[in-house]
Amino acid sequence: MQRHVRWLLSAVLTFGWAGCALAQQEGPTPGGSLVVAISADPPGWDPTLSTSQEIPRVTYGNVFEGLVRFDRHGTIVPALATAWTVSDDGLVWTFTLRDDVRFHDGSPLTVADVMAKFERARDPDSGHVNQQYYEAIASVESPDPSIVTFSLTRPNRSLLYNLARPDSIIYPAASAATQRSQPIGTGPFRFARYVEGSEVRLERFEDYWNPELPHLETVTFRIISDPNTRLAALQAGDIDLIGAAVPPEHVGVIDATPGLETHAGTATTEITVAMNNARPPFDDPRVRQAITHAIDKEAIVRGAFFGQGTVIGTHMTPAEPYYLDLTDLYAFDPERARALLAEAGYADGLSVTFELPEPYPFERRTGEVIAQQLREVGITVNLAVVEWGTWIQRIFLGADYDMTIIGHAEPRDINIYANPDYYFRYDNPRIAELLAEAEAARSAETELEAYQEIARIIAEDAVNVWVFSPANTVAVREGLRGFWIDQPTPAIDVTEVFWAP
Amino acid sequence: MTAFVVRRLITALVSIVLASAVVFAAVLAVPGDPAAIILGVTASPEALSALRTQLGLDVPPVERYGRWLARLVRGDLGTSLQFQRPVADLVRDRLMLSVALALGAALVATSLAIPLGVLAAVRRGTWLDPLTVLASQLGAAVPSFWLGLLLIILFAVELRWLPAGGFPGWEAGPVAAFRALLLPVLALGLGQAAVMTRMTRAVLLDVLRQDYVRTARAKGLGSTSVIGKHALRNAMVTLVTMLGLSLTNVFIGSIVIEQVFALPGLGRLALSAIGNRDFPLVQGVVLLYAGTIVFVSFVVDVSYGWLDPRIRYA
Repeated sequence: MQRHVRWLLSAVLTFGWAGCALAQQEGPTPGGSLVVAISADPPGWDPTLSTSQEIPRVTYGNVFEGLVRFDRHGTIVPALATAWTVSDDGLVWTFTLRDDVRFHDGSPLTVADVMAKFERARDPDSGHVNQQYYEAIASVESPDPSIVTFSLTRPNRSLLYNLARPDSIIYPAASAATQRSQPIGTGPFRFARYVEGSEVRLERFEDYWNPELPHLETVTFRIISDPNTRLAALQAGDIDLIGAAVPPEHVGVIDATPGLETHAGTATTEITVAMNNARPPFDDPRVRQAITHAIDKEAIVRGAFFGQGTVIGTHMTPAEPYYLDLTDLYAFDPERARALLAEAGYADGLSVTFELPEPYPFERRTGEVIAQQLREVGITVNLAVVEWGTWIQRIFLGADYDMTIIGHAEPRDINIYANPDYYFRYDNPRIAELLAEAEAARSAETELEAYQEIARIIAEDAVNVWVFSPANTVAVREGLRGFWIDQPTPAIDVTEVFWAP
Repeated sequence: MTAFVVRRLITALVSIVLASAVVFAAVLAVPGDPAAIILGVTASPEALSALRTQLGLDVPPVERYGRWLARLVRGDLGTSLQFQRPVADLVRDRLMLSVALALGAALVATSLAIPLGVLAAVRRGTWLDPLTVLASQLGAAVPSFWLGLLLIILFAVELRWLPAGGFPGWEAGPVAAFRALLLPVLALGLGQAAVMTRMTRAVLLDVLRQDYVRTARAKGLGSTSVIGKHALRNAMVTLVTMLGLSLTNVFIGSIVIEQVFALPGLGRLALSAIGNRDFPLVQGVVLLYAGTIVFVSFVVDVSYGWLDPRIRYA
């Protein structure tokens, strides 16, 4: 609210200057503060100890950095490393470190910190998550104080991508035990204060290696779990930015409010109807195809999401480089669905339990529409809403379910289809072979072909129904510049954000 | 009087321990593994089992409860699994806010309800009485979360007088805290005021029909004296019960209000702790809820004895 008063004042002054100020260039202006809404407390702040998306949403790029990082378009760009090279056989990766980096505690970044990080990342007892990203690394060495080399057991094309993920951030070697509660990174903002259930405050880090960034002095992430309360807080001027997943029904309201605007971007989320491929009737591919034919994805995006999303046909979104449009493979065709069900021996209908995860409104809403569409081809759907802890325990880890629906938000995670123990219980050794081919590929084309082949096989097998990729809608106060609209990785990166003068 | 207080105190302690045991069992009965929730959906089985050991979840439940009780006796509530901070610290920060919210709402409720209820009872038969009854019926029918949303839309979104939610922390000063708590206190207190107005009116109408009130009037006492000294004082036992109940009500009702106003209170902490299967935190929060409710009813019980000597000897 105070800022509004200031704006008003500056507007009056600008007018007084008879248009002088109007001629000013709109470049980044330093200073100011920003209030961002997030929806939940994360389980600690260390992205290497939990795969919760709430952690990188606040910390990625802002507090923590790795050797490389994703920029707002998903391109891999230098961060703590200035350059890197790969040997011809693809087995040795050499990174050159920046020599002017300090951590938020004042200590300089050294190769020892980098090596300690990858020791932890490969030590099964360290608690470091997603260790599969670093599987191919045989050893990490430092021939020179500014050089780090990774020797691999096999060529690993996705290594660079994995090094850009939030899991690959680097912090002081000795601080691993305290990062959960006191994050210390190299990012443009340092972690200043956290009040559980209320807010997290980041403050500008004066010794950031890039002297031109950041522009803002402070950034406060307010934890507001209710979407309606988030909307009211934005309208009331309490917050400036809702950085991800604005509900589609709020878009019209926000656009109609003077001083507020929305932007629709892309995200890597696939809203997926997961089927237990090991359990009847879903062990019959005809049933899975019938279910795919029975679902009118267009109608869901249009009717339940105000058109804010893209229909997909496999486990890939248009935001990813390997995207392949397979939406026509088993297109909406209720007649074909009934025929396939009859062929599979369910001419008199069948009964399935469809479980919706309580914390995810997009999935719940989609699930309710799908249940109705399935009923129209003669499938009796018993809908049940399950609480999150139960979902993880029984459905995800225990694979004790018929059908569920969830958004798979991680970018580049098609490898889950190579794991027969994953909750889809899809067992096809060909996928693992193709993944290995993609990793070992000598050219980008071969890699792309292998990934697209995986995408095609799982779509033909109708492992799951990939419904759509919801748009990543961002809501902001007018005058804010430099925020991320797309979500190549889950993050509300405010490094380059500033208020227009 | 001392024996009476001691008796009530023992009952109170037993209730608290029982409540904690019931909650422990209830949380265990719901499926869900805190380690799985912390690590997220891509966790490996090794990472899961390492974290479970680290969090002490490999210990059998009964032993875990025993350890928790033993620590509790020494004043230690344990450490939150999610936040990795002492439960006592987390709960202390939150309790201040929830107590402020509940007391504020109870204050709003009583300061509206008692004068309005008395007025409606005394002015029975005038236009004031049906008006009060109507208003209080309406107030009682509106759910507090909805009233909260209406207040947000009016005072935060349209008029921009007050923040739409959140809490700046006590260190931001009394004015900021007051501004942050005003709408939630009203949302919580107005509904309660409505219920209490109706009860005050009913109780007072009943007392006013009693013989001693007629006698007092016959003695020629002024109506202020009749109502203040004779009627209201005798209605006190019922009114104190009502006050105790309403304090408990607003304390429990604050769970919903904290959610609507994004306030870092005990209620939201409880919800997130249950969702994350953060056993020590759930236990700590429930202990506080149970403790507060038991404490309020204890005070109410003891004040009966003080207000009405007959109860002490019963």
